[in-house]
Parts: sequence; C-alpha cells; structure tokens
Amino acid sequence: CSDDYEDDEEDINNYYNNNEDDFADSEEEDGDSTSNNNDIKTSNNNDINQSGIIMTSKLEHFSSKTMTVSETNEFLWKDCDKASVVLSITPAMSRLVLQASKWKLAVIKTRLYKTNKPNFLESGLQNATNSKSIEKVKSSRPKVCGVCLETLHRSKLLALNCGHQFCDGCWKQHMVFAVKDGMSQGIPCMEPECTLLCHPDFVKQFYPVNQDSPLETAYKTHLFRISVSSHYQLRFCPGVDCTSVIYGEKPKPRKVQCLTCKTAFCFECGTPPHIPTNCETIKKWLTKCADDSETANYISANTKDCPKCHICIEKNGGCNHIKCSKCSHNFCWMCLGDWKNHGNSYYECSRYKENPRIASKNSQTQAREALKKYLFYFQRWENHDRSLHLEAQARSRIQTQIEEKVNSNQGTWIDWQYLLRAGELLAQCRYTLQYTYPLVYYAETGPEKALFEYQQAQLEVEIEGLAWKLEHAGEYQRGDIENQMDVAEKRRQTLLARFVTV
Amino acid sequence: MSSIAATRVQRELKDINSEECSGQNIRIELMNDQFEHLKGEIIGPPGTPYQGGKFKLSIHIPETYPFNPPKVKFETKIWHPNISSVTGAICLDILKDQWAAALTLRTVLLSLQALLSAAEPDDPQDAVVAKQYKDNNSLFYKTAKFWAQIYAEAPGPTDTDCMDKLKKVTEMGFYRDPSLRALSSNSWNLADALDNIG
Repeated sequence: CSDDYEDDEEDINNYYNNNEDDFADSEEEDGDSTSNNNDIKTSNNNDINQSGIIMTSKLEHFSSKTMTVSETNEFLWKDCDKASVVLSITPAMSRLVLQASKWKLAVIKTRLYKTNKPNFLESGLQNATNSKSIEKVKSSRPKVCGVCLETLHRSKLLALNCGHQFCDGCWKQHMVFAVKDGMSQGIPCMEPECTLLCHPDFVKQFYPVNQDSPLETAYKTHLFRISVSSHYQLRFCPGVDCTSVIYGEKPKPRKVQCLTCKTAFCFECGTPPHIPTNCETIKKWLTKCADDSETANYISANTKDCPKCHICIEKNGGCNHIKCSKCSHNFCWMCLGDWKNHGNSYYECSRYKENPRIASKNSQTQAREALKKYLFYFQRWENHDRSLHLEAQARSRIQTQIEEKVNSNQGTWIDWQYLLRAGELLAQCRYTLQYTYPLVYYAETGPEKALFEYQQAQLEVEIEGLAWKLEHAGEYQRGDIENQMDVAEKRRQTLLARFVTV
Repeated sequence: MSSIAATRVQRELKDINSEECSGQNIRIELMNDQFEHLKGEIIGPPGTPYQGGKFKLSIHIPETYPFNPPKVKFETKIWHPNISSVTGAICLDILKDQWAAALTLRTVLLSLQALLSAAEPDDPQDAVVAKQYKDNNSLFYKTAKFWAQIYAEAPGPTDTDCMDKLKKVTEMGFYRDPSLRALSSNSWNLADALDNIG
C-alpha cells in the first residue's frame, strides 16, 4: 500500500513543475518527465521577490499553478485513468468514484485495501442490493418503459447497474432536461429513490452522431464544474470572466494568485486573502459589515420605546423630558416614568434602582458598549481600506515622477525603482494590518490578545512611518526609506509567524 | 403539449380509473382534452383530523412531464403544516427535487394522502400551522378537523365553540375565510383574532 502511495506522490510532483524551493520536502525534478507541462504557468506568488529586499513568507502563500480548461480536463482524465486501474472499472465510471471522494486517490486505495470494497455505493455506481437481486429486478419488470409506459422489445430497454430499465428515447429526454436544469450533482436514474448516477460513458451513447450537440456541450460543461468543485486540489479562479483553474498541491487557507487575470484569493474559501485572520472569522466579519445587524444595534443603543404607544424614539437633544410626537405622552428618558410626577424633583427618578425599567438600562448599556467596540474596529478596517485605495493612486504618481526625474537626467530609471518597491511593500503591509482587525475583534481577552495587539501596534507604527517617508520622499535618503521598508516587513513577518498557526 | 406527456397522462388516467374501484380513495379527472390541467381528489385518511373529507387538487402538467414534476396544489382549504392555509401550495419532496420520471400521478396522490397522515412540521410550508402543531397539538387537531368539516365536507358534528366564534366574527361583517384563518392563527382567541384579521 505504501509503495503505491509513494508512486502517487511522485506523480503529483511530476505534474507539479516545482521551480522554487518553497517546500523543503518536495523533491527536485529531473526535468525530462515534465517537459509536456512546462508551458503551464507556475507561481508561488513572490511577485515582489525580484526586489531582493523582501522575503516572502511560506506563511502567506503556497505554490500554485494556473491551468486552462483543457489542461485541467487532461489532468482530471489522467486521475480517472489511474483510478480505473486501481478499481478495475472504466475511467468514466471511476470519475464518479473520484468525485465522491474529493479526488483523493490515496483515500480510495486505502479504503480498497482495508475493506476490499470500493465506495461504489456513495459514488452512485451501485445500489445496496446485490447482483442477484438486480437480475431479479430486470427479469421481473414487464417489457414496459416505466416512463412513457410503452411496451417495448427488451433490447430497446437500457439500464444502469441498478437494473431499472427504461427506453432509450426516455433516457435521452431525461438527460436533455436534467442538463437544462443545471444537473446539480449528476444525472440520477429515473427510478424513484434510486441513488445511482449516470456515468459519462452511459451518457455518451445518447449524443447524436454529429459532434458538438447542445446535450454534449452542456453535459461536459456541467461535468467539468462538478469535477473541479469536488477536487481538493483545484479551485475556479474567482476573477471576473476568468476561466482558469488554480491547482494547489497541498491545499491550505493561504493566498494564491491566478496568473491569467492576476486575481489573488484565499485557496480555502475563495474570498480575498485574509491572513492572519482565519476563513471562519473573516466570513463572520464580512457578513457583519455587510448586513444591517448593526442598524439594529444602533437602534437598541440610541433609542427607547414610548412607554404608552411603544413607538421607537431617538433622543436628539440633551433634555430628558420627552414628548412623544405620536401620542403626545410626556415622559422621562431616564426612568421612562410619567413626566407629571417629576415636577421640581427631577433627580428623584435615578433613585429607583430596583425599578425593572432601570434594569433594562443595563442591556442598553451593554448594547451601546458592543456597538462602540464594533465601530472602533470597523473604522480602522475602513480607514486602511481607504488608505490602500489612495496609495494605489500614489503609486501611479510615483511612476510619473520617476519618468520625469529620468527625463531631467536625475539618475537612471533603475535608481528610482526603490520608490515603487516601497509603494508595493506599503500596500502589502497595510493589507495585512487591515486584516488583523477582524481577528482582534473576535479574539477573547487574555495575554494572547494583548501580545497580538502589541505587535499590531508595532506594525502600525512602522507602516505609518513608511507611508510618511514615502509621501515626503524628497526629504529622505534612499537608505532611510529602504531601512524603513525592511523594518516594516520584519514586523509583519513577526506578527504572521506568531499568529498564523494552521 | 409534447406527445410523450400527453400519451403518458392518457395511460395514467386509464390505470387510475381502473384502480379507483379497488378503494384507493383517489380520483383524477380531465379539465379539458389538452391533458394540461387535471382535477384530482383525495379522501382524508382515517385516524386523522381530515378523515372522510374530500380534498380537491389542481394539477398542472408541464410541457416536460414526466421528466419534470407536475405542479400540484390544494383547491380545498386545509389546515396542515406542509400546506399553505392561504394558497394551498404544497411542500413535498417528490414534487420538487426528489421527483423521478418513473413516478406517476397516482403515486403523487398517494404520497399526498400519506402526508395528511404524517405531517412534517420541521419542514413547514405554513409556519403558523407548524408552530401550533408542535406547541399545542390538541388545538391543532381541533382546528384541522373544523377546517375539514367546513371546507371538505368531512362528516361528524362540528365543534360548537369554534362554530360560535366563527359566527360572531362573520356577523361583524367579515368574510368567512379570513375570519376562520384569523381565529385559527390566534388560538381561537376572539379578541386577538379581531386585532389581526386580514
């Protein structure tokens, strides 16, 4: 078993044209076996690496490869071929087995050796019944197609491994409609409660003779979608109109970048890269920022209901004497009691501590605190986002400034490149800093959080220092700026090294 | 209408009407000769609040039948967690994603009859009914039975308390259907029902 597994590993390495020593454990290639894959674009995302100053960390991204649709298809069929040898079934049938096990061939093998039974049941290749009862199903059924109810010659009836026979016309219609409806996880058998799925070879016999029929094209598109989305090493690029597929050898929640459209995303969850915050937290944070739950929070923190007509009232001045604009009820904002009883003894209302209405103030205070905390982090998050946009514009200004300087003979183009690199580094650091806020917001109070906040503050100081020096580049020496870049990046690395665990 | 849909509906009708005498308590009729709209009827199963009621169904056969499910809804008003008390829309898996081409109208009607016997309040179509079913099952039973008697000609003496309250509300000038729905949704509390009548 272990031998086979190693084979598999090697195959993956063969396929993956490793040009960086990003993974110490992946072996170097001899080159000849990968010649056919050399055109596939590989990346480990250290696009700033050329600068020589910045070390990209293994913590942030991992090696990935951008593949086209046809390259991906070739890759998938290769896996099917391998699985078909292991399982002794056709490659098309093994495709269903692979889809059901996230394309982890090693898992399929282990299961096969351990239990001597492949997972045909979950894959939709076989029913729980044994082959004898399938024969029984076949012979017991009348020569009638269960869908169109026409009596037919038995040779015209077709069935999957379950033995549920239907005529070819009905099968074809079924496939056309199933494909039209989007074919969620595959085309099911037409028998009620039958769990079998039509494998690609079975579908193939219903394509018309002429090539590229709508059925064939649509079926292949859907099959491709199902395969890629079930594959543990493959992701569709989330970029707009981009058809590329990203291959990650050892999937992790890390940044990958599509080399076709340059979109960067988290391999695990598909959202923009969010290190050091994890996928779950960033999802929670983004939902929180997007939905209006905070509106409700605001209402509970800044409004009270009129004690008489229960309309929601927002206090817009300092006076605690409130007159409801709907029912004209006069009441006290502090104790919600009738204003009539207050008269001259206004401060009396704070005496009724045991009053249940005062108790409700407690939850109000809590809501206000929660809102304050959220707004604190959200404002920082938003502010860095805005800064990132502004600094992106600044980078294009730097570009023009460099051109001007070169044209007026102040040094050569290469002399000024450090400014651009500083701009890119600034963006990188600020991006990381932005994504530390959701983490802190959800972190539990304790020494761990205190340490994180300390390092976050350190990073923030250096980032703002760099931003200042870059904005006033004329007043600083190149050495100053490069030193600041180095410090900022080191701070960032320290923070990531300590808090990225997965 | 495609020929396969029409021929299949024709064959199914022949089968159903031959089995009708054998006591399935289900019936299907043609509305016109296009096989597009059918009328179905199921009898409320014994041991349920719907016992003996005649529940009429409207069945629409889509162009793509039998590869897509027929569209079925209750014409007769019914108080049931999986059926809308307002529109008659049905929440049943085989009418949605669990449909298989080899299922027939007969199996659909039998499944609906089974749904009347065994509701699934955790997958509700009508949230109000489902809540009542779970929180106060005896009240649900009473209400469902009263509805079946009012709308589906279910046999037996009607609940006098319910009848009196319904009469009181309708005498104030409200229509019968919204009055009954308001009473049923508000635990037969007259004052609450009058506040929430819609």
